[in-house]
Amino acid sequence: MPFMKKLAAAFLTAAIAASALVVTASADEPYTGYNYDWWGDPIPSQNGFVVDKVIDGSDLGLDKLDYSSYSSTLQAQMQSLAEPSDIFVYQKTGEFYIVDSKNNRLIVTDSTFSPEKTRVITELHYGSEFPESQSVVKNVNFKTPRGVYVRANNDGIKFIFVADYDNNRVVMFNEDDEILMEYTRPSGDVYDANVTYNPNKVIVDSAFNVYVIVPSITQGAVQFSADGTFNGYYGANRVEATAEVIAQQFWKLIYTREQIIAMRRSVAIEISNIDIDNDGFIYTVTENKSANTDVLKKLNPAGTNIFVNLGYDEVTFGDFASRYYKGKNYASAITDVDIDEQGNIYLLDFATGRVFQYTDECDLLFIFGTKGPQQTQGTQKGTFMSVSALETYKGKVYVVDSRKNSITVFKQTEFGGIVQNAISLFNEGLYDEAKGPWEEVLRRDANYWLAYIGLGNAYLNQNDYSTAMNYFYRTSRAGYNRAFKSYRIEFIRANFNWILIVILVIVALLIAWSIVKKKVLNKGGNK
Amino acid sequence: MRFDLDLPAWKWPFYVMRHPFEGYDDLRWKKGYNMKVAWVIVAAFFIVSVASAQLTGFLFNNTYVKVFNIIPYFSSSVLLFLTWVVGNWSLCTLFDGEGTMKNIFCVSAYALLPYLFSEVIVIIASNFLLRTEGGFITFFRYLGIVWSVVLMISAMKTVHQYSIPKTLAAMFFTVVAMAIILFLAVLLLTLFQQVFVFVYSIYTELMYRFSI
Repeated sequence: MPFMKKLAAAFLTAAIAASALVVTASADEPYTGYNYDWWGDPIPSQNGFVVDKVIDGSDLGLDKLDYSSYSSTLQAQMQSLAEPSDIFVYQKTGEFYIVDSKNNRLIVTDSTFSPEKTRVITELHYGSEFPESQSVVKNVNFKTPRGVYVRANNDGIKFIFVADYDNNRVVMFNEDDEILMEYTRPSGDVYDANVTYNPNKVIVDSAFNVYVIVPSITQGAVQFSADGTFNGYYGANRVEATAEVIAQQFWKLIYTREQIIAMRRSVAIEISNIDIDNDGFIYTVTENKSANTDVLKKLNPAGTNIFVNLGYDEVTFGDFASRYYKGKNYASAITDVDIDEQGNIYLLDFATGRVFQYTDECDLLFIFGTKGPQQTQGTQKGTFMSVSALETYKGKVYVVDSRKNSITVFKQTEFGGIVQNAISLFNEGLYDEAKGPWEEVLRRDANYWLAYIGLGNAYLNQNDYSTAMNYFYRTSRAGYNRAFKSYRIEFIRANFNWILIVILVIVALLIAWSIVKKKVLNKGGNK
Repeated sequence: MRFDLDLPAWKWPFYVMRHPFEGYDDLRWKKGYNMKVAWVIVAAFFIVSVASAQLTGFLFNNTYVKVFNIIPYFSSSVLLFLTWVVGNWSLCTLFDGEGTMKNIFCVSAYALLPYLFSEVIVIIASNFLLRTEGGFITFFRYLGIVWSVVLMISAMKTVHQYSIPKTLAAMFFTVVAMAIILFLAVLLLTLFQQVFVFVYSIYTELMYRFSI
């Protein structure tokens, strides 16, 4: 029967195709790198980062420590990390600070994560400079710490700041675990009496101003000066102009004062995380699945978002569109931000477990990492369950997962290195030198749109405008505009005689035509 | 009104374009309606709408050209125009309009001419202009649209012998009628699709029974 033969052939083809798929897929990362093209469609790309290793509590030697003073349930929990919620790398010495929230401790280690280098801080003490009698909290232990930051003064003495969530304080201590300062709930009218004060994240600028992220505060970060006085709020988000907000503005015109007070107030969404770069600019991210304004902000010391003037606040950070998959809606919820040495911006997406790497000009470079399927519980390397923080150190990216209780280390691939090299050369203004790396990028991934912009700029720099236009076509309107402007001037200069001749001939023909027409009409009239 | 006009059919659209207020009166008096000319303009409308998506310069082109499908362009030009004609005719015959279907078709098509010219200018200019000079493009685009709308009002007023307020009301309700027509068309289409799927499944079922 021909039908059965056909069926058998179809099955055979399908089986061969499936086996081929399995063979290639098994060697790869659990995620496929992708990027967004000119129309905002996702297109596959090469991976810029792959998993190097996964660090858990036993790698740090936490299971070898003595926990005899704790209860038996706690003893089991303290063998490993428990809901780690933040990581910080002190770039000068390469010290890693990991906040082990549920175990109420801070773990200090280095990039080798070896047990010999690991130091666990569970208990502090009040020093002579800040005696216990002055303290409001009076607690030498952490209570659900959620954030950590380290800054050294001009003499090179390091101070550690921990956002001590359930102790309602940010505690500052030195390397001898001596408490020097506590940044507690601000008193006075500016801080709303009905609002809780649970510090979630903390950063410190070079003048030792302390910025505290409190989840219940929508006015921005709570800012303290070095001596602990409350300075006010810093870097509030804007209210997104949704239909509801516009409607409220309309009703406010009509309502009486009492009615306006009773109205549901539309407030900005709170900042979820904060980071500071080497130049002292502060970056904030907002974790909200529905809002698209102020997802990533770069703030100057006055608290103004400098991305607005550069037009980068129009960029969609994270995934472009929300995706509906297996009964769940996935929209990006950016939970952490980090800036590396080169100025690249890394965003961590809680919803999909992905890391988005951007240049300092907010061009998307790479997307890596993924959320594991429910069955495997994120056990596969490179998949996550509930990401909480990320940090970069010497080209490697460290992602903390608060349910896998581990730190996943990503290293740059060869392809990622070429792209990074090209961008560095490009940013230094060495457009011609960047040409080689960009061409190499295109040889490996012809869809990598940033390479086209790089090559376009290189050719523009060489005054080869038409080639530059070809590279900018459907990759950069601004670049195309610049190249086309020069191209047009050059074209008119080169062909000015011909253009003039054509125009003169057309004018002459029109005049001749009108004369002929008049004569013909006059003849007709004479008849 | 000029009674001495004796224009060939293809010149009438250009004449009404240059005389937005009296041109249609002359057209009506001289019975300058010509279906062939009107169809040529409608075809040009279709071609221009495709060209606008495909040939506009990169700096001003926002079309998703990755996938090209002719159907949306056809339905947003020719079908839309035909719906306008049908909607207007079915509304205005009920409200003392004097225009026949043929008259409405012709005058409406003639009114599209300024829009088509402006689109052609925009398509050509967009390939020579920079982003900073985009004001010219916006200007020509709006000029064409406004001119066409003025012509359309004049056309509707003359062809149905309405007053200005009645013309405007008729045009507004024509748009409403178009929406109703499109709704019914989509409804009919889905129903017929289901009928077709039903008949086709019976056909395939029968074919399997007889062949094996």
